[in-house]
Amino acid sequence: MGRIVSSITDGKGFDLLLVGLTMVFLLALAGVPLVYNVVMSFQQVDMFNLSTFSRPFAGFSNYVEVVSQPEFWLIIRNTAIFVFGSIGGQFVFGFALALFFMLKFPFASTIRGLFLVSWVMPGLVVGALWGWILAGDFGVLNAILKGIGLIDNTMFWKSDPSLAIWAVTIANIWLGLAFNMMLLSVGLAGISQDLYEAAELDGANGFQRFSTITLPMMRSTIGAVLALGLIYTLQQFDLFPAITEGGPANSSNVAQYWAWQWSFQLFDFAKGATVSVMMLVFVLFASLVYVWSTRHEVRG
Amino acid sequence: MNRLPAPKLFLVLALGLAALYLFPLYWMYVTSLKGSSEIFANPPTFWPNDPDPSIYPETWARRTMATFLWNSLVIATGVTSLTVLLGTGCAYVLARYRSVWIDIGLFAILMLQVLPASVMITPLYVGFNQLGLLDYPRTAVILAAAGKAIPFYIVLVRATFMSVPRELEEAALVDGNSRWGAFFFIVLPLARNGILVLAILTFMQAFGEYIYSKSIITTQSLQPASVGLSGFLGPNSTDWNGIMAYAAIYVTPIVLVFVILQRRIVAGLTSGALK
Repeated sequence: MGRIVSSITDGKGFDLLLVGLTMVFLLALAGVPLVYNVVMSFQQVDMFNLSTFSRPFAGFSNYVEVVSQPEFWLIIRNTAIFVFGSIGGQFVFGFALALFFMLKFPFASTIRGLFLVSWVMPGLVVGALWGWILAGDFGVLNAILKGIGLIDNTMFWKSDPSLAIWAVTIANIWLGLAFNMMLLSVGLAGISQDLYEAAELDGANGFQRFSTITLPMMRSTIGAVLALGLIYTLQQFDLFPAITEGGPANSSNVAQYWAWQWSFQLFDFAKGATVSVMMLVFVLFASLVYVWSTRHEVRG
Repeated sequence: MNRLPAPKLFLVLALGLAALYLFPLYWMYVTSLKGSSEIFANPPTFWPNDPDPSIYPETWARRTMATFLWNSLVIATGVTSLTVLLGTGCAYVLARYRSVWIDIGLFAILMLQVLPASVMITPLYVGFNQLGLLDYPRTAVILAAAGKAIPFYIVLVRATFMSVPRELEEAALVDGNSRWGAFFFIVLPLARNGILVLAILTFMQAFGEYIYSKSIITTQSLQPASVGLSGFLGPNSTDWNGIMAYAAIYVTPIVLVFVILQRRIVAGLTSGALK
């Protein structure tokens, strides 16, 4: 007994205790639910057996039913638009801003830091702001676009089935752009200035310097930023209930919101778990890319 | 870049870009100060004709914001305390050693960091239901949200611990400190700033938490401000100046804390996320 106590105060036991407590907590609240999710997707779950563990085995019937829903392919398509639209927009605008803020001028880093305010705001508030900006008849975006002559007719961002998913995507681009910019700025700051000076002496123009120095040197940062973009976009939930609630008629519904609707609006927890498991495959793929691209930095 | 002679021009351009980017926040405050007919003016006014802040006390009372914000505060405090208590020690150990086991632990934590809340809520809800935890809904939300916050916290706080020189700790051990002593009196004070920044970030995230609270807490008097906002927000909302006033009350403290601590938050975030 004494040996255990002294190990905890002064030896390996100290380290094991600190890591162990946290690992048990994470296992209980993330690891076990993850497995339970997979188990439930193969079970028949209803309101009567919700609180017991012995539920009828359902085989692949949940998966078959989810895939054969009429809205299934629409939701896959929307999820793809949302994910690639968001990542593309966040990355392009984020990269452009990151490059701009690398220029030397007063207060550059302070002004750049202000952009990150979008990232600390509650997602639901961001959704509320964009829901109002994108409103059809009275929204300010329509007024601005008409004012500068880009559109003639009112765009019903939230109620037009062909636009609704883009309304949420625009809001998500705004939300994640600053975080992308910040990560890319860190990568850009890590490139030695000598390289650019040497290239300039050799007569390389701005585009050549960008494509032969910036892009290759940023490869692992870009990989990590894109993978994180995929992860965070699949995590984005709050904007959907705030802006469109997945509507009209599922035209802006995506996998993460659909999974929640199955469980908490239709109370079919098995289907909710099934959609979640399908999503997890993509998330785990993205996180492998992310872990791979940051393996040197994280290990330190 | 010395050939480009116009730093002032860039400054103006940067301020313009920031103003454009932060326009949604400006629009929130402006809308909340407009009367209920002016918000539907076409074309919209970019400055209220007759600024009227009376909507703030009205929204505060009508939407029982005191209760909602109190619950947000309770949840955010709980999540932050749990995260700091459990995450700090773990991050320290993961920073101190290098071995295959540490790599495996890090890998597991990185994988847990990426699980979407919308994926986890179904099994958590069913599990909490079986354990009877749904009778204590705020505690259940705190546990669930802490499980989400801890991996993120560990990854970034670990980067802070990496920058604490190992020699200082070893010197303390040689001087006769126990491991606990060295950890609490040498390492923790040196890593204080990084821990503080990440605790604040955790708090801000938990203060805006929505999906777990929405799914788990059904009693209105226990719901946080995010769920309260969702109660009168949707594709068919019309009460926009009320919504914007609510949003302004909810988000202004967060924005203020962020602006004051901006430099430190940015530094704390970028040190660990990527190098």
